[in-house]
Amino acid sequence: MSELLLFKDIDEPGLASREVYERRGGYESLKRALRMPREEVLQNLLDSGLRGRGGAGFAMGKKASFLPKGTMDKYLVCNADESEPGTFKDRELMQKSPHMLVEGMIIAAYAADANRSFIYIRGEYQQQAEILERAIEEARSAGYLGERILGSDHSLSLVLHRGAGAYICGEETGLLDSLEGKRGNPRLKPPFPANQGLYQGPTLINNVETLATVPHIIRLGGQEYAKLGTETSTGTKLVSVSGNVQRPGNYEIELGIPAREIIFGLAGGPERGRDVKFWFPGGSSSPVLTPAELDLPYDFDSMAKAGSMLGSGAIIVVDDSQSVVDVALTLAKFYRHESCGKCTPCREGTNWTVKMLQRVESGEATPMDLDIIASVQEQIMGNCLCVLGDAMAMPVASMVSKFRDEFEAHIETRRAQLGLGEPTEPTPLEAVGVGS
Amino acid sequence: MPRPEVRIVTFSIDGREVQAPEGVMLVDGAKHGDVEIPVFCYEPKLGQPVGACRMCLVEIEGIPKLQTACSTPVKDGMVVHTQTTRVREAQNSVVEFLLVNHPLDCPVCDKGGECPLQDITFGWGRGISRMVEPKRHFKKPLELSPLIAIDRERCILCYRCVRFSQEVSEDYQLILHERGAQSYVGTFDSHPYVAPFSGNIIELCPVGALTSRPYRFRARPWDIEGAGTVCTLCPSQCNVELTVRDERVLRVLGRDHADVDDGWLCDKGRFAYQAIHSEERIVEPLVRDGDQLRPASWERALSAAASALGKARGSVGALAGGTTTNEEAFLLQRLVREGLGSADVDSRIDGSPMPLELQRALAAPALGATVPDIEFAHTVLVLGTEPVDDAPILDLRIRKGVRRRGVQLAVATPRPSSLDRNAKLWLRYAPGAEHAFLAALEAALGASGDVDRLCAVADADPKAVRALADLLGEDGRGDVVILWGERVGAAALPALLNVAGRLGLAEREGAGLLEVPASANGRGLREAGMQPNAGPGLSEVAAAGRSAQQIAAAAADGELAALYLLHTDPIRDGADAPLWRRALARASTVIAHSAFLTDELREHATVVFPAESYAEKEGTVTHPDGRLQRLRPGIGHPGSVRAEWSVLAELERAVSVRVPQGDTNGHSSPLTGPMATRQLVEAVPFYAGLTLEEIGGRGVRWQERAAAEAFPAGPAGPFDVGEPTPVASPHGALRLGTFRSIWAAPEVEHAPALKFLARSATLEVSPADAERLGIENGDRVRVGNDDRSVEARAAIRGNAPAGTVFLDAGLPAGGASELVDGTPVSVDRAGVEVTA
Repeated sequence: MSELLLFKDIDEPGLASREVYERRGGYESLKRALRMPREEVLQNLLDSGLRGRGGAGFAMGKKASFLPKGTMDKYLVCNADESEPGTFKDRELMQKSPHMLVEGMIIAAYAADANRSFIYIRGEYQQQAEILERAIEEARSAGYLGERILGSDHSLSLVLHRGAGAYICGEETGLLDSLEGKRGNPRLKPPFPANQGLYQGPTLINNVETLATVPHIIRLGGQEYAKLGTETSTGTKLVSVSGNVQRPGNYEIELGIPAREIIFGLAGGPERGRDVKFWFPGGSSSPVLTPAELDLPYDFDSMAKAGSMLGSGAIIVVDDSQSVVDVALTLAKFYRHESCGKCTPCREGTNWTVKMLQRVESGEATPMDLDIIASVQEQIMGNCLCVLGDAMAMPVASMVSKFRDEFEAHIETRRAQLGLGEPTEPTPLEAVGVGS
Repeated sequence: MPRPEVRIVTFSIDGREVQAPEGVMLVDGAKHGDVEIPVFCYEPKLGQPVGACRMCLVEIEGIPKLQTACSTPVKDGMVVHTQTTRVREAQNSVVEFLLVNHPLDCPVCDKGGECPLQDITFGWGRGISRMVEPKRHFKKPLELSPLIAIDRERCILCYRCVRFSQEVSEDYQLILHERGAQSYVGTFDSHPYVAPFSGNIIELCPVGALTSRPYRFRARPWDIEGAGTVCTLCPSQCNVELTVRDERVLRVLGRDHADVDDGWLCDKGRFAYQAIHSEERIVEPLVRDGDQLRPASWERALSAAASALGKARGSVGALAGGTTTNEEAFLLQRLVREGLGSADVDSRIDGSPMPLELQRALAAPALGATVPDIEFAHTVLVLGTEPVDDAPILDLRIRKGVRRRGVQLAVATPRPSSLDRNAKLWLRYAPGAEHAFLAALEAALGASGDVDRLCAVADADPKAVRALADLLGEDGRGDVVILWGERVGAAALPALLNVAGRLGLAEREGAGLLEVPASANGRGLREAGMQPNAGPGLSEVAAAGRSAQQIAAAAADGELAALYLLHTDPIRDGADAPLWRRALARASTVIAHSAFLTDELREHATVVFPAESYAEKEGTVTHPDGRLQRLRPGIGHPGSVRAEWSVLAELERAVSVRVPQGDTNGHSSPLTGPMATRQLVEAVPFYAGLTLEEIGGRGVRWQERAAAEAFPAGPAGPFDVGEPTPVASPHGALRLGTFRSIWAAPEVEHAPALKFLARSATLEVSPADAERLGIENGDRVRVGNDDRSVEARAAIRGNAPAGTVFLDAGLPAGGASELVDGTPVSVDRAGVEVTA
């Protein structure tokens, strides 16, 4: 069950080479796609119901169909920045099967009528970047890239660009700025990249896994692909399981199987004697879920309904040996470090949250500070320029609300250790109204 | 390019129906319904909104998330809420977040009392702080430049200053370092942020992070008064507001005028106010006593001047420049022409006289372009002028047009222009070869004439000239605006008019010519009659007088007994400094209005009247595009300085033999400022009926009034272009080009804050010439021709054309006017003599 489409041959030796990839049926989908009219390829993508695998879960075919018609340069950008903590599926995919991504990009570019494409890969993925460079070169020499690919009227250039290690450059518009050579800051939307993206041109941006799925959709046919998974979460998904599990790693699952099956069945669950305390269903930016929610089907809608999200499909399991305060603080520190500083709530909110959690950690805080922490997360959510602020606020808020007792107990224990005595709650000041 | 048409849409805000122009951002649209939405980062002058500060979040029905009103255009039927609990909480939150790291040091902050952060905190904040943790700290305050202090703790990271540097002035110096809460504004390698427009970031800053060093701690908002007037330090004539405390100008701020300055100021306009209060300023009349000038009473000074001028009747030459108003120019030419019987008046100190017919053709209302036309034109040609030096604010307008409205820019100048990199096409011709270049351009546009031959005369690339003709002339391409500098010279004007004719500029609403005069009120001075071949209103004169250059020559030869210098130092402003030195030495009478003494005045002046600064002046000036603007006194006169119109009127009374025509009150000379204006308006037919009230605070273009019909029409083209004189062939020597830097001005030299920018002679050399001559960057060199030479510092410019060097003009001494114009120069390394 864990090797359905993308990971079917993933451990085949030499799969990174074109020769082995083609022997395994690689680039057949490309040839097939190029024989179809552009519209038919796009229709297959629409039919497949494939939702973006990068985190937002937006329907990929729909996004491709947003690109305006016309003869201007259009761009396809592959987001290979994979910077969300807990996510490492794209790395394995690119490392072991780079041609699957390249093939997917060529087909997706054809569907969207893009003639220039880029892979923006995170700086730390040096090995993967080298592997991709080789794959791109192989594809180019085989005539899969360049002018009039395989005699069709589809032309495409593909350039690999390595980032410099900023989380925010995984945000699509920050990525575009960075790719243009600017400071990687998110842009205001609208305009959306489909209309004004890279170099102000129409741009389709997709995650590695999303694009790597495209050849399989063409191979199976969009409608056939849609039969996998659930109605609104079609297909298979690569899941990166990490944290307190016995067999961490990447697993390909059909969307909609119970989360318990992934965490316990595939990844082996926590060590013996330990229980799951909470888990992140979709990377470190997703609100945490409790063991009670382990039997939910693992798909986009069920996770959303439970108040969290499937995100990039990175499950982080935290067992009962861990302190929720530590997890919250570590996470907040990460997002503070990665906040670009452009918009106020994220820049100041992440910074302030860390300072407050540090006081909680050291026992200098009072339960009232937990209210302030919760309220600050509320103030961040939905008010930022991009989703980085929410990425901290959502999990921190969920931890404070679901594990409030543990936070309070932590403060008490710390205070006792430090001999600080009972906290004295200051009387909150009432705001004095204007003119009173 | 046609201006966007404005459609009105109706939307609802806080339950009120509001009408606003379609496409404006909600923040601005809300103002039409008297709803204020707070902002920090939003500033439409900076271009597209960035939505960074999140202060302007509002609720729009149908959109689940709160939206930034700064980036959401109003649409028909939109329903907006700015007062709901949800919006209020978001606003409270953003204020709270902004204050998390803000030091709240308002009591010692220069911005206190006029600080948007204070105001918005008061209006939209919660009023309490829940933050008890330590704040972010930076070293402070630091010198961002000699003019600007930066306090990074106060900074709320709104990006305005960085965007200004990157997207408006395009000096690309300011950036944001680091990220997140540790972000801070600075230059890439911490070099001082020195740029011609740097001071604008002080005004843009919504907190006290960027403060003016000259203004720091000088006053509190409740100590000061604002006084609106017009800066007359250059032809841009930006609208300004003077910050006045106790009769002293302490600061100059922009007074946004979209048709003049777009709300920006250059650093000269912003900081040169210090010269007003310089210790060295002349604040009382000075009269010669032997070999010295001594302070004297007004009675004595006026009678000394009147009697000296009276003696020189019929032999007086007068020049006006600098900050001279229309009224002063009008009164001076009347004084000289009618009172003293001399025709020798001029306001083109370093130029050549312009035939009246050509002037009338050039100033024809149909052919005139306005400042906003630059922004909306299809193509703009910058011809023989460097906007950043000659009319700085137009430089920003051109950049804006190119960046935001897709204007195609072409630059044709002898010297490399700072606008070259924004230009679709740039080309060079030899200094002084405008005539040949324009003749070539006209030929390339289809007139008879040999493009290649004319290009050879102009030393221009025929391919580039043809490409320029294609760019300008293609049918249906839209409006062309030609921004040309007065220094293009009279000989080139027939060809310029023919080019304009071929391009049909007069027939198109948004197309035309816009001249950058050499002096701040050049256009007004000419229209007031301050030129040898034209009276007020470009009227014909019985007999043409001498031009500036001829006045100098005549005085040097003893043919003119008296010289009258109104706000001009011909050594600095003129084309030939040695000739002017001889002229001043030889003239028996030299009357000057000046704010500062120069060596020549000290030695030769008979009477020096103290000049008013523009902050003290009353009167009108005329913008290069014909907009009459009003100067209003912001401060009283220091010392015993008097209104200069009244000084001229007094002199007129003292020397006059008859009552000038047209004054219905029967006064020969005005008794009040407005009276002087009225006499001017009566004398210039196309100003007819204009009052100070009508000019008001925003000015009025005379071309847009009915009286413009009285403009004396010039002849219709085409004009006889004539044969261009070949520019001197260097024969192994180098061609000399000149330029006058924005900083080559007495106001800069006398303003302590700007002194570090004051120019000394710099010789710009191409790398090839530098190598041939063995010159390195910064070397002292001697530049000379015809037995004259000056010393200069060499500056190697990568893009300078080989074979030509460029030398500073407009210096108090030792600049380009020391050399013979148009004659090749030789350049040697100056003998380095180290004195112990």
